[in-house]
Amino acid sequence: MYEEPYRWIEAVANRRNYLDDQFSQGNPLVAVSFAQGILLVTVNRGTEKIYEIYDRIALGGMGHPADLEKLRYTLLDMAHVEGFQRSPSDVTASRLMKNGLAPVIKEAFEEIFKAPYITKILLAEVGPTQDRDRLFSINYDGMYEEQREFGVLAASSAIRESLLVEWKAQGKPTSLQKALEVSLRLWGISSLLQTSSPSLDTEESVPTPSEATSETIIPDDEAITVRIQETLDKESLECVLLDRESGKMETYRALSLTELKLLLPQYFEPVKE
Amino acid sequence: MRQQGDFLQVLQEQGYAMDNLFPSTNGNGVSRHAEVTTGTTVFAMKYADGVLVAGDRRATAGNVVMYDRTDKVLEIDRFSVMAIAGVPATAFEMARVLEHSFKYYRRSQLQDMSFEGKLRALSTLLKNNAPAALAGTGTVVPVFAGYDRLEECGKIFFYDILGAEFEAVEYAVSGSGSTTIRGILYYMNRWGNDPVAQMNEENALTFVLRLMTSAAEFDSATGGVDAQAQLYPIIKRVSAEGVRTIPAERLKTLFSEKVLT
Repeated sequence: MYEEPYRWIEAVANRRNYLDDQFSQGNPLVAVSFAQGILLVTVNRGTEKIYEIYDRIALGGMGHPADLEKLRYTLLDMAHVEGFQRSPSDVTASRLMKNGLAPVIKEAFEEIFKAPYITKILLAEVGPTQDRDRLFSINYDGMYEEQREFGVLAASSAIRESLLVEWKAQGKPTSLQKALEVSLRLWGISSLLQTSSPSLDTEESVPTPSEATSETIIPDDEAITVRIQETLDKESLECVLLDRESGKMETYRALSLTELKLLLPQYFEPVKE
Repeated sequence: MRQQGDFLQVLQEQGYAMDNLFPSTNGNGVSRHAEVTTGTTVFAMKYADGVLVAGDRRATAGNVVMYDRTDKVLEIDRFSVMAIAGVPATAFEMARVLEHSFKYYRRSQLQDMSFEGKLRALSTLLKNNAPAALAGTGTVVPVFAGYDRLEECGKIFFYDILGAEFEAVEYAVSGSGSTTIRGILYYMNRWGNDPVAQMNEENALTFVLRLMTSAAEFDSATGGVDAQAQLYPIIKRVSAEGVRTIPAERLKTLFSEKVLT
């Protein structure tokens, strides 16, 4: 029944609706480049969402854990074979994304008789200097984007756009603590927009993404703080630093809970009146 | 289905063969007079704070000195070191395979490989390399030292060319210069006034430099210390904090103060 072009386009459109719906409950992920390295921040309900891929490369994911695991293995194999056969400096996020992930995800998405990958993935590569940091994010349909300073995985493209605007509007973080605060705040905004605004449903029926973006209102700081505090009560904060200043080949370091509590006291000890 | 987290299998699926260096005819018919680079002194010994692993810097082919700045003490990961004696091509390749195997395992399985697992990995590489080892084109006799984080102690292992693994209680030696220092180590441990395992770092480092100088005295394939050319052995310390290379500056001071005089 899908042989006719029209049917195929219809099937792909259905797929988009199905996938958008799958991500509406997902946890956003934020990555920020600053002087010391790249910080990746998300919240999880038990399954980790940030992983080490290679010496300078980390992966952040959103979506189904099984799909994420499969793609993570693809990247690990690619990176390690390349790093062994050539050199660790030949392993780049750009090539992993463009040659490794994108074709696989796009093919699965358009192969309408098979299941698509229910994942959005962000690859972060820390460079020797900040201007060589790279962030790549890929959508479930295989479309990817390259960024220098800020990357995000969000439930919808509208939320993603508003976060990019918000990132540009605020000051650039200079320290690990500032980077954590900024990332977590953006995470909070993303999380609030995802649940409060009905934009996900309206997007389907009224496809006017530009309108949806301009209408997005950034929640006030108090609401953001409350959302973060409530979430951290039930779920666990996951933060990874690709440390430019580690002095070693390997840069990946997960921040411990003790460390996070010291850096972010405002979210871990909520003042209840 | 491949074994979980096995990097060697991933490599083999990509068409990589560790046996590229193997002789093509069952190990027979290989000319013995093709000179292969070998000859070395490497050793590991326990001291008060952990394990010291040392290696001279010379690479030889027959009676020709090929290179005087070789690093034969290779850091495999944060807690393990392999010191190599034998054919460098095969030995460096093994070290690279191990390094990537441990990294790959840790990243894919989300846990560190156990110390036994790491020993097993090296043993397997040696066993697979047996034909080349017997033919003489790929002989490798390594010493493996590491810190076992489960048992919280430093450990030393040595191997024969076929991959048999032996744990050393106090020290292990390998390479053409090792016969000289093995005797000294035995004597010092048994009748010396300071057993090697109880030496502090300064005494242990001095001892290592003296051993290396002795080995170089009697073995032409061992580089020893060349203070004039600023050439000191590579010495690495393995302890609970991980692997650390002893800086050449420190060796320089110790050598001029405690070895020369």
